[in-house]
Amino acid sequence: MTRVLAIARNTLREVARERVVLVLAMFGLALVVGAQALSPLALGEGRKVVIDFGLAGASLLATTLAVFLGSTLLHKELERRTVYSILAKPIRREEFLIGKFLGLWFTTSMLLAGMAVILLAVVTLAYRDTPWQILGAVGLTLMELGIVTAVVILFSSFTTPALTAFFAVAATVAGHFAEDLRYFASQGASPAVQALTQGAYWILPHLDVFNARGLVVHGLSVGPDRLAFGFAYGLLYAIGIMVLAGVIFRRREFR
Amino acid sequence: MTARIDRAVVAGVACAGLLVALAGLIERAAGSRFERAREEELLYYPSGFMVRQAALGYETAAADIAWLRGVQYYGEHRLTDQKFDMIGHVMRIVADLDPQFVEPYVFGAFVLAQELKQPERGLELLERGMRANPANWRLAFETGFLHYVCRHDFAAAGRYFTWASRMPGHPDYAERFAAFANERAGNTGMAVLLWKQVLATGNRYMQDVARRELERLEAI
Repeated sequence: MTRVLAIARNTLREVARERVVLVLAMFGLALVVGAQALSPLALGEGRKVVIDFGLAGASLLATTLAVFLGSTLLHKELERRTVYSILAKPIRREEFLIGKFLGLWFTTSMLLAGMAVILLAVVTLAYRDTPWQILGAVGLTLMELGIVTAVVILFSSFTTPALTAFFAVAATVAGHFAEDLRYFASQGASPAVQALTQGAYWILPHLDVFNARGLVVHGLSVGPDRLAFGFAYGLLYAIGIMVLAGVIFRRREFR
Repeated sequence: MTARIDRAVVAGVACAGLLVALAGLIERAAGSRFERAREEELLYYPSGFMVRQAALGYETAAADIAWLRGVQYYGEHRLTDQKFDMIGHVMRIVADLDPQFVEPYVFGAFVLAQELKQPERGLELLERGMRANPANWRLAFETGFLHYVCRHDFAAAGRYFTWASRMPGHPDYAERFAAFANERAGNTGMAVLLWKQVLATGNRYMQDVARRELERLEAI
């Protein structure tokens, strides 16, 4: 565990060097300016619009960062050949991978939490009311980030950064279509197609599980049962993907 | 070295500024020609179902964009030709994307009934809102309002006001209007009271219409 945490700490430091704080500051500024600019245009719905855009922006930004920072993470280690010196130490390849996963997940989670705090502050200052409900939606988005990070680590364990980014984006997009996929297949498709879509349905991450933004923008809270379900599903899926990534990375030959 | 970098930075910023200003000038000179194209763009606004699929979990944010576009569309036409043909279409898209967003039902129905003189379409939109939000007093109240003011169906208005007054979170005036509608059916005074309520609680566009209607009613 100490070895995993050491790798995670190192990854965190490495990613933090990529001017993440600048992204955070820009997000805060955009939100403050946007809140002032949009309120009069929204005919009394400014608060909803600011919370909506804030949550959507924070989630999109954190997911994009997870994909694009994560897709180069392992590749850089291989390119700089630092991976050889790390793996020459008494550390297993799986531990190295888990450390990378935890470091990246923690960084993007901190970024998301930072953006949520900015959003809370902006709404409180602009509308004299703190929308605490958004914390439930942010909690679920953290779990979604865990799955996206695991998927990025999985692809980066055997392919190039460009393909990793492509596959991770494709998996994220398809993850939002999982329910629709099953629904469309049930509407008169042939048994073979139905079996295929059922398979895809179970393999793909069901990212809609983590979308509670539609609830919190209308002032509703995310129930503890929904949070517990989201956390359990996210954790199990991410662990499953990391196990697969570990198996692949163990067999990978470094040249 | 520093001086050379500084000169390069200044030249780059100046060049970028010049290009942006030039683009602005071109847009200003030729933009009016494309106003019509921008208008027609709403005709091709995809259905809510399509946008919902493409929104990838960000449906409520997409609904806000459509709402802002709808408000902008209404505002532009209010200042020019008073034609609001696409408002129902845009508000239905907002409703498809975020069925719990109440304001588009209310505002869309108000514009359809008052500005386009199509109260049936307005009531249809409110009906849809009530199906998605059965416990929302405001949608029932606005339905009563349209029945009273536009359709002069006082019995239906009384029913909807009463319904609104039994829903959680309703304001005191919902009960007052329920009583008035049943007692003073067809009375102009009741319509004046309803418009005064819009003046007190509606958005700025609805308040403008309420002022206009109050002037008309008080002139009778």
